[in-house]
Amino acid sequence: MVDYIASIREAVLSYDEDSVKRLVTDAIGNGVDPVQIMNEGLSKAIVDVGDKFGEERIFLVELMLAAKACAAGADIVRNKILESKLQVSEPKGVIVIGTVEGDIHNIGKDIVVALLEASGFEVHDIGVDQPAANFAKVATETKAGLVASSALLTTSRPQQKAIEEILKSARLRPKVRTIIGGAATDASWAKEVGADYHAVTATDGVSIIRKHFGGV
Amino acid sequence: MKGKLEVLNREELDVIYSTSLYILQNIGSNIEDDEIIKLLKDNGCEVGPDRIVYYPEWLVKDCLQSSPKTVTLCGRDPTKDMVLGRQAYPYIISHVLGLDYFDGLTNTYRSMTKEDVREFLTISDYLDTINGVWILTMRPEYKQMYMYCDYETGIRNTSKPVCLSNFEPVSVPPAYELAAAMAGGEDELRKRPLTIAFCEVSPLTWNKYACAMLKATARWGIQPVVTVETPMGDTGPITFAGNIAQKVAELLSGLVIVQLLNKGIPTFFVTPHETFDMKTAQVSLAGRGDFIYGCALGQVENYIGIPMITPVSPDSKLLDMQQCYELAFSLLPQMLGGTKAVVVHGLDTTRAINNELLLLLDDMVISAQRLLEGINVNPDTLGVDVIKQVSSKIDKERRTGHFLDQRHTLKWYEKEQRPRKDFIMDKHRREKWIELGSKSFIQRAHERVQEILETHKPDPLSKELETKIAEIHKKYEIPPI
Repeated sequence: MVDYIASIREAVLSYDEDSVKRLVTDAIGNGVDPVQIMNEGLSKAIVDVGDKFGEERIFLVELMLAAKACAAGADIVRNKILESKLQVSEPKGVIVIGTVEGDIHNIGKDIVVALLEASGFEVHDIGVDQPAANFAKVATETKAGLVASSALLTTSRPQQKAIEEILKSARLRPKVRTIIGGAATDASWAKEVGADYHAVTATDGVSIIRKHFGGV
Repeated sequence: MKGKLEVLNREELDVIYSTSLYILQNIGSNIEDDEIIKLLKDNGCEVGPDRIVYYPEWLVKDCLQSSPKTVTLCGRDPTKDMVLGRQAYPYIISHVLGLDYFDGLTNTYRSMTKEDVREFLTISDYLDTINGVWILTMRPEYKQMYMYCDYETGIRNTSKPVCLSNFEPVSVPPAYELAAAMAGGEDELRKRPLTIAFCEVSPLTWNKYACAMLKATARWGIQPVVTVETPMGDTGPITFAGNIAQKVAELLSGLVIVQLLNKGIPTFFVTPHETFDMKTAQVSLAGRGDFIYGCALGQVENYIGIPMITPVSPDSKLLDMQQCYELAFSLLPQMLGGTKAVVVHGLDTTRAINNELLLLLDDMVISAQRLLEGINVNPDTLGVDVIKQVSSKIDKERRTGHFLDQRHTLKWYEKEQRPRKDFIMDKHRREKWIELGSKSFIQRAHERVQEILETHKPDPLSKELETKIAEIHKKYEIPPI
């Protein structure tokens, strides 16, 4: 009997997207619970990879490829759940994320998105160069618990303050929490704009978000 | 290797070499040993008054011909032998020289202990970029047997090649016995010989001590290393061309004697490049002139075809900006110039060693090797397919792709960039650096040194070798090391 869960984890840890897809499909075909595949196989593997990256034992490209492999497996699991009308497990949290208006940098944001999605969060990536109002609009529509914004330019970071203000005027604060990141930001800027959290790096951001939603 | 630096062109190398031959034939070298003078005379040299020997050009060329073009430096583990003349990158040899240890955390000097030597050798054994060690401690308690004691210390703490320097022929026999026991007998030792360096005195003089070492190494079948020091403006001309010509003449005079004493034995040169600093009246090993000279020697080595080892010897007294400048500017031109091996000293013009410096050297060597390798251009490294794939990711009429999640990046990252997971250079954002303790390079290197010393244990000696060592100590009345 193939230990599908262990094999799926192994394939994620080997950054092997094709094997992850094949193993997830085979596992579902052989009656393995899709929720178990998601939680014990894919999510656990990506958390392990994230920890290794946090400890500087692997490089970012390895983390990103693992996240990509994990996301490919998660897509198959989600489709199966929808198709079978199975009881869907609650996402670990709902997050709206984007790069602020006037700024088109996306890499740090994309790293956060890839890792959060692979870890079982519901992530609404609104893209780059996004007006503050759009963060609030999508947060309302999706009932998000957290809004994450990225700014890499000193000229664009005032938009993070605009996001705070617009969330307040929409009466989403303090229920909806905020985190800011990007090269133009630091802890004192986070304090100045009134954000709840500041992430020094993309992976720090993922750790903070995981902790915020009760994970480790 | 694609990366190279040239400070001499082919015609200039021709002229320098012919000048060296002219110096040998017309100026000659002073030799303080009757036996060697007779040997040279019997083989076609002219001997003038004041023990000056003149070498005919044909003899020098004959001896160059009979001297092997590759030389093997050996240690306990044959898989770690250095074959000078055949390797991809210049070998790096760490040198325990001097009597002091520099404590990088307190910026103070203290007397080097046996434990300091052991730790330095253990780290050298651990680091992949260091291919072997050279030891010359001259610890007073070892008296005339310091070379044997250095050798035993070396082989106990590293299985990589161990080279020695000596001015006392009396310690050759015990070192020979130990080397033979380690090689598995005298026949095997001839294939993987012991290497010992000794020094001629410039200008153009083989003094009686160096002559004694020439004869001792020949008698014992030891691989000799001819070392010549011609500080620019002191015992050699201030000009690069003249100094190199004199140095090459001196090296070749040694090669002729070695080949006449023991035809066909491999030999190589250690060629310190020094400038006499006219402001302080000190010999400098890492001045501007030395950087250029180091590069030239690599070119000369390839021209003559006899392996050379060139030293890197910072003059700085601290692990500071001067140290980094001198280390980088000494190491890089030598490696790019084509030298086969570099022997690296510590601080204070070879007078002190330091462990943290080995880690700085470790990273510099990787960068220099990568520079030597050059840029690899082929369809896969050009990466048109991956550029196309990443560029095809478009969201709301804007390209949003990147290369961070591409297998192409994974495949080539390590090959192209030579990144390291145990990297101690700080590349974090400042907040993260503060979170990690705001540590200096020396503090981080010191922590890494401690980790290495706690976890890395050099391969132990065999029981048979330990027995042999005990016999040698008894036979030659050598104190415990």
